[in-house]
Amino acid sequence: MSTIDIGTGNLALAYLLLALPLALMLWLRLPLISETLIAALRMTLQLLFVGFYLQWIFALNSLPATGLWILMMLLVADLAIIRGANLRFRAIAGPVFVALLIGTLLPLLFFLLIILARPEAMAAQYVIPICGMILGNCLRADIIGIRTFYEALRREEKSYLYSLAQGAMRQEALQPFTRKAFQAAMQPTVSSMATIGLVALPGMMTGVILGGGDPMTAIKYQLAIMIAIYAGTALTVISAIRLTAAGNISGRGRVVVAVFATDGKEGS
Amino acid sequence: MQKTALAIDDLTLQAGDREVLNGFSLQLEAAGRLSLTGRSGCGKSTLLRALLGFVPPIRGSIRIFDQELTEDSCWQLRTRMAYVDQEPDLGEGTVDAFLARQFQYRHNRHLRYNLSRLPELFDRLLLPASLGSKELPTLSGGEKQRLALIAALLLERDILLLDEATAALDSEAAGAVFDLLDNYRQTTILAVVHDPFRAAAFGRIVDLGRPQRGEAG
Repeated sequence: MSTIDIGTGNLALAYLLLALPLALMLWLRLPLISETLIAALRMTLQLLFVGFYLQWIFALNSLPATGLWILMMLLVADLAIIRGANLRFRAIAGPVFVALLIGTLLPLLFFLLIILARPEAMAAQYVIPICGMILGNCLRADIIGIRTFYEALRREEKSYLYSLAQGAMRQEALQPFTRKAFQAAMQPTVSSMATIGLVALPGMMTGVILGGGDPMTAIKYQLAIMIAIYAGTALTVISAIRLTAAGNISGRGRVVVAVFATDGKEGS
Repeated sequence: MQKTALAIDDLTLQAGDREVLNGFSLQLEAAGRLSLTGRSGCGKSTLLRALLGFVPPIRGSIRIFDQELTEDSCWQLRTRMAYVDQEPDLGEGTVDAFLARQFQYRHNRHLRYNLSRLPELFDRLLLPASLGSKELPTLSGGEKQRLALIAALLLERDILLLDEATAALDSEAAGAVFDLLDNYRQTTILAVVHDPFRAAAFGRIVDLGRPQRGEAG
């Protein structure tokens, strides 16, 4: 590996660059300064922690340790989705976890076992970053997907119940909502696929290039990861919708109000 | 011998944070007609939603064609009923797409040829034939009500539930609706009707606003 290391003192200099946007905010009297400082602090601590942890886990390179790390990433993602989708923990935490598991692990295993297809690919150094990229996109897509789904169901409950009254089965009546949510969740991935490389070099490619890899190798990794991400987001969104709906649509077909974190009307 | 289409026994329902109907009972024979009246908030719409299985009873029971309405049976029983809301939410898209949509449901597929009756029904309900290509959100309340009624009639259900289905219509169009319903002598119709003259002309009147058996007063 031929990546140039950054010394501690030199990294400190990078923080000097922060003075520029902070000065601009001061000049424009934007109330963003304390928020920026807190965000910068959080970023530093989180990344340092992850850096140390990954160093340890890469050195250890044991499958159980890697698995445990992935499990933790999944749990953090699960919580982030529940908060982002504005739904209740008890109502969706379990199904969303399973949806993340499906959407992340299937493409990940495909990538490692079938695309890379080498024993070294199971090393923590490959598994964790690739898993992280897929999971990060699953997280974003799940938030949009289930949020769109439940918000639309709440807003258009009358039209949904009308379909049931017309003789639709549960899935038939939910179909328009599933379609709308799935499309909204997939759109960003499709858009980024269409413009990739034209504007900015994508993260994974940059990583491979900085790591001393050949640009063509970098491109091949990028193509494979984009497809894995696309497949993963599709899988996780449809699973998240179907699995959470199973527990939050009553036996009579109505949406259970307890799924929503905030009440549409007064009281709770 | 007359079959009983609807048997409601000692029914109490929850509407928001209130209880309504308070032990209401009713029998309606097959092919019978009934007008529901009563002050607003007395539970007329809630009763219709309960018949569709959307509102579980707090007390009492509902039987439809001798079958108890439950969490399990409501799916099958819904396919024996059709419903017209006072402010129908027909969704988006064109009128034609809306009318075709209900026949994509598995339970209704065999009825899709009924769409050939559209020109006649449009004509009977004083709707222009050109309405089919219009977008739903551009329609008036009265047009939506008549479309919802047409959709309901095309399903050939045994029971028709009408919640002030002519509320947004002028008297000529409302008259056309009642004339058309006169042809459906085999259909059991339960209608919430506001206009007392129409209610009386339509069928037996049941006033839900009156105190029911078991209620003090």
